[in-house]
Amino acid sequence: MAVTSPPGSATLSPAPLAGSATRWSSFRRRLTIWISGSVVALLVITCYLGPFVLPIPSPVGGNVLDSGLSPGSPGHPLGTDVNGNDVLSRLIHGGRSSLTVGVVVNIIGLAIGGTVGAISAYLGGRADSIIMRALDVLIAFPSLVLVIVLAQILGPSLPNTILALSAFSIPAVARISRAATLKVMSMPYLQAAELSGSPWWRILSRHVVPNIVPQLTTFAMLGMAIVVVTEGALSFLGLGIPPPRPSWGNMIFEAQQSMSATPLLVLWPSIALLVTVLSFNLLGESIRDEVTGR
Amino acid sequence: MSGATTTPAAEKRTRVTENGPAGEQPEGLRARLAGSPVLRLVGRRLMIVIPLLFVVSALVFLLMEALPGDPAQIRAGMDASEEEVEAVRQQMGLDRPGHERYLSWLGGALTGDLGSSVVSGRAVTTLLGERLPVTLQMAGMAFVLSIVISLPLALAAARRPGGLVDRFVMVCSMTLLAVPNFVMALLLVLVFAVGLGMLPAIGFVPLAEGVWPNMRSMILPVLSLAVPMACFYARFLRGDLVEQLNAAAYIDTARSKGTGPWRILWLHAFRNSSFGLLTLVGLNIGALVGGTVIIERIFAMPGMGTLMLEGVMSSDVAVVQTCVFIFAAAAVFANLLVDVMYAVLDPRVRYGSH
Amino acid sequence: MRRRDVPRATRRRLRAVALVSAVALAAAACSGGGGGTGTGDDGNPADPGEPQSGGEITTILDSGFAGDWSTGLDPATSNSTGANLPQNSAIFGGLFTLEPDESGEGAELVPNQAESYEWSDDGLTLTVTLREGIEFSDGTPLNAEAVVWNWIREFSSGSTGAPTVQLDLEREPPDLDQAFLDSLFAALPDDVDRDLIMARLGAIRAVDDLTVEMHLAVPNGSLVNGFPSANINLIGSPTAYAEMGAEAFSTAPVGAGPFVVTENTQNQRLELERNENYFKDGLPYLDRLTFQSVAGDQIAYQTLQSGQGDVIEGISDVALIEQADNNPDVEMHLGTPTSPYVIQLNTRTAPFDEKRAREAIYYATDFEQINQGLFNGQGEMSQSFTASGGLFHHPEVPGYREYDPEQAAEIVDEIGGLKVDLMTTDLSTARRVMTALQTQWQEAGIDVEIDSKPLGDIITEFQGGQWQAILQTAGAWDPSVGIGVAVRFGSTSPFSGTPLPDGAESAQQAIDEGLQTELDELLQAAVLTVDEAEREEHYKAISQYISDEAYGPFGIAFSPAQVMRNGVHGPGLDQPIAALAVNQGVLYDRVWVEQP
Repeated sequence: MAVTSPPGSATLSPAPLAGSATRWSSFRRRLTIWISGSVVALLVITCYLGPFVLPIPSPVGGNVLDSGLSPGSPGHPLGTDVNGNDVLSRLIHGGRSSLTVGVVVNIIGLAIGGTVGAISAYLGGRADSIIMRALDVLIAFPSLVLVIVLAQILGPSLPNTILALSAFSIPAVARISRAATLKVMSMPYLQAAELSGSPWWRILSRHVVPNIVPQLTTFAMLGMAIVVVTEGALSFLGLGIPPPRPSWGNMIFEAQQSMSATPLLVLWPSIALLVTVLSFNLLGESIRDEVTGR
Repeated sequence: MSGATTTPAAEKRTRVTENGPAGEQPEGLRARLAGSPVLRLVGRRLMIVIPLLFVVSALVFLLMEALPGDPAQIRAGMDASEEEVEAVRQQMGLDRPGHERYLSWLGGALTGDLGSSVVSGRAVTTLLGERLPVTLQMAGMAFVLSIVISLPLALAAARRPGGLVDRFVMVCSMTLLAVPNFVMALLLVLVFAVGLGMLPAIGFVPLAEGVWPNMRSMILPVLSLAVPMACFYARFLRGDLVEQLNAAAYIDTARSKGTGPWRILWLHAFRNSSFGLLTLVGLNIGALVGGTVIIERIFAMPGMGTLMLEGVMSSDVAVVQTCVFIFAAAAVFANLLVDVMYAVLDPRVRYGSH
Repeated sequence: MRRRDVPRATRRRLRAVALVSAVALAAAACSGGGGGTGTGDDGNPADPGEPQSGGEITTILDSGFAGDWSTGLDPATSNSTGANLPQNSAIFGGLFTLEPDESGEGAELVPNQAESYEWSDDGLTLTVTLREGIEFSDGTPLNAEAVVWNWIREFSSGSTGAPTVQLDLEREPPDLDQAFLDSLFAALPDDVDRDLIMARLGAIRAVDDLTVEMHLAVPNGSLVNGFPSANINLIGSPTAYAEMGAEAFSTAPVGAGPFVVTENTQNQRLELERNENYFKDGLPYLDRLTFQSVAGDQIAYQTLQSGQGDVIEGISDVALIEQADNNPDVEMHLGTPTSPYVIQLNTRTAPFDEKRAREAIYYATDFEQINQGLFNGQGEMSQSFTASGGLFHHPEVPGYREYDPEQAAEIVDEIGGLKVDLMTTDLSTARRVMTALQTQWQEAGIDVEIDSKPLGDIITEFQGGQWQAILQTAGAWDPSVGIGVAVRFGSTSPFSGTPLPDGAESAQQAIDEGLQTELDELLQAAVLTVDEAEREEHYKAISQYISDEAYGPFGIAFSPAQVMRNGVHGPGLDQPIAALAVNQGVLYDRVWVEQP
């Protein structure tokens, strides 16, 4: 793709001080990458290594006599929940479940859905029709029913949660990927490549994939938020990560059942979720901007 | 739900006719429909959609079969003897093979007889008559509202990427996206019903009791459904618009011709970005339905979502089957509409060639 | 031969009982943790003064329990009579009501539409005399004939709300008016066994216009106490049924209670207005009453706060109860509990087929700690199947194995380790108690897996017979009514884990061959008499037997809280009545609001 950003931004934003503005925005983009990248890294390290390194109590098996301690209590900086479990510890352990679910579901969605969508669009015609109709069946199914059935048959667990959420994610990514591919295929360079006789796999991998990845990434980063939040909603239906094992989603769900009385227990995991989602998105978007040279 | 998509569609359609990409002849909407490639496409898709709905209905049936628990046992009572369960099974027609039962259900459904609830004994069609309008109104309003909110936000944000408006919209939408809808609903109630006392916390007022009371009872549930969707759309659309603005050659052409930034956004970038948005909107019908289940519970709205959830909890096959089928049909038709709108927007798809 | 008439309803009742009990578990479990004394804002509520007439209230019910009337409101066909006490109190009132007793803690059974009842000396005939001059809201009389019509329907329509009664089916039916028979059969299911109905008409008969007799095959000591939660307490108008038809009657039944239905949106909203024809002068106080069903305590609480509701019946979340207790705009009243927790142990399979293992569980369990931690000490401890609000209450059982972690650890060592799967119903507070139990048991060296499941799955587990330990609530106001002790501990009950009688491979076989365990005999004896003192002795023996055999440790008992905005008063709201099973039964004819 042509690096045409200076004229573009010139037309759209009035009177830029050309040189310094570009340098400033490029610096700011780098800074964004650094900051959001560090936050993501910090989150990942805290959630995955924290439990082994930090002096925090176990997230389960708390003493009920310690239930409902307020933040700042000795040994419990964020207090305890109704079962007397340390909230900070549950946040950290819960983050591990939530991040795992979010990342794995998105990777599965991107890998399977993205590929299916791109191939379907590329092949076109009857094959496209068949693939898309099959996906339509998946999409048409109210996800809830699928989840309930999965819950009944498989029982709640981390892998089953991932499975259930992937069932939403794959067809969604496939449709997005197909739409993006269709658009790319209308571009002149692709027609040129086709005319020049490049094999289909090369066209797909050389021309289509690099061009649809930015759009899919945007979607996946949004998907990260949605997946983590939906995991909490699954608790509503008895699937989701089964308590007492924490996840941000089930922590929010448990606490909102008495939100008027325990607002802080809703707040902590919500903040954790928000920080994660924001930093993942900022990172995703600024990397994309960097790559596309905007 | 699906009906509502015609609003943006109609808009775009007229735009396309006025400013079609190079090579496309401007033609009137009527003329185009009469010329009928679109109509032909609709016909073609319908040919697929109808069998698709059969497949969906069969799948629903299979799923209900796969659910653990024996409806006859449940109806007969836990400790009913085997003969008693057998009698109930015969009475419910469960002793017949699955395909036979499916066909008779299908036969009934096609003639408007959807069976009756094993719990309340009331006809499913009666239940639908009570519940469907509530959900339709709620989902429809949420659908329209989400687009009405997201379009201006995305356009305003994309006009100056990285600008103040852009940042504000992006941060706000991300924050709201990170709030689960059940928490969002409770927060809205705590603020607007408990705190300010402006709106009811729960309940549904039928349209027959006045437009304003009806709207008042709808505002919070609709907002709870629409806000996360609007954020999702706004972010996606903004990303896509910026992409278009930066990458597409025709935008540069337009710019060099001195076209204003809003015009470029609206006429050029948006029309191309609307493909992605359309796809997303079609996809979200399922999420919208899932959302109604939770939101109806929180706001005590007598809708389809509640009906379905109650049905699942009590193994009420006839009810669940009908609800799922209606939801599925809505999603299928919404996606059909998306396909048709692709065609309207993009001549290449319309003529089935590339 | 004396035909044993245990109607199908019995079986269904058991299922209903299971349902109620699961909810009881939730409700009982959850409530009670409030910080205060549980008697209002400052523990010293101001005297509300004389009741005032007029006004209206909206009562908020939980959609998972009282707010679920999906099987309709016709008592003969409803499967949620035990849960829909509020609606039934408003529409039907009832032959008998459970009123606050003198102590202000417990409850006593008082004839309402009935004037009195009497047992024959052999305990086989119950005679109920009706008050004179009571009319249904449609103007037709509530007389003995109407009661017979209702009772026959209620026993014969397959409702889970029918009590377990062995009617004496050997009596000749009296001469009955053909019009009455036509009306009755028109209101019964099509496939009903006509001979059985005629036999039941022999057992249930009108003696005169105001007197009804019920003849039993064996004495039933809990029958009358069971009225307030059973469908036979509710008498609807036969004339109205004939005019309206089944579906309309089930939507808006016509009774002789304080209110009449004006609008019914199933499982959502039930609107009622004053019955101008009510038999008590000056009652009801309220002009209008609305029941609104909402999902969960948080939503109920915020609905009350927003002014869309005036009363929440049975709020169960501990944190919210405390919140309500501290809120100056609302009043919170905890009821007197009747049903304690029990950890049922399955003696029919490993590891609890071994008594030592069961003992280890007794010693490892510290309900007092859970009471302090989860319920701020507001719960009541019990070593048997009722709590202070219930009848035949024995808080202490001689020789009960109390918390002793060292002894538990010793036994676990001695039997070479113990691995337990503990389950409970998928409700938040039940889960919390279960989680706490897991921690306690693990401290004694027991390896515990915990799992919470939807009610249906718990029933399936009971059916499968492979469960090991299930956290439940046991008991009721009268221990043999509803989720009584027999349901949890009788060997032939489908919800029991006590040993089967010798020689029986299954509960069904035991029933068929009439085999019984010693505990079964005790349980049976307790209801085979109408003599209170005798029953007391039997229940004492049952408590002792369960404790000695270590069939299951009992724990904390709670009753859910009633929360209302200031200025709402009435029996069952700010005036406590012991709960029949789960929630207190509010007497809506005497509920009133302070007028400005």
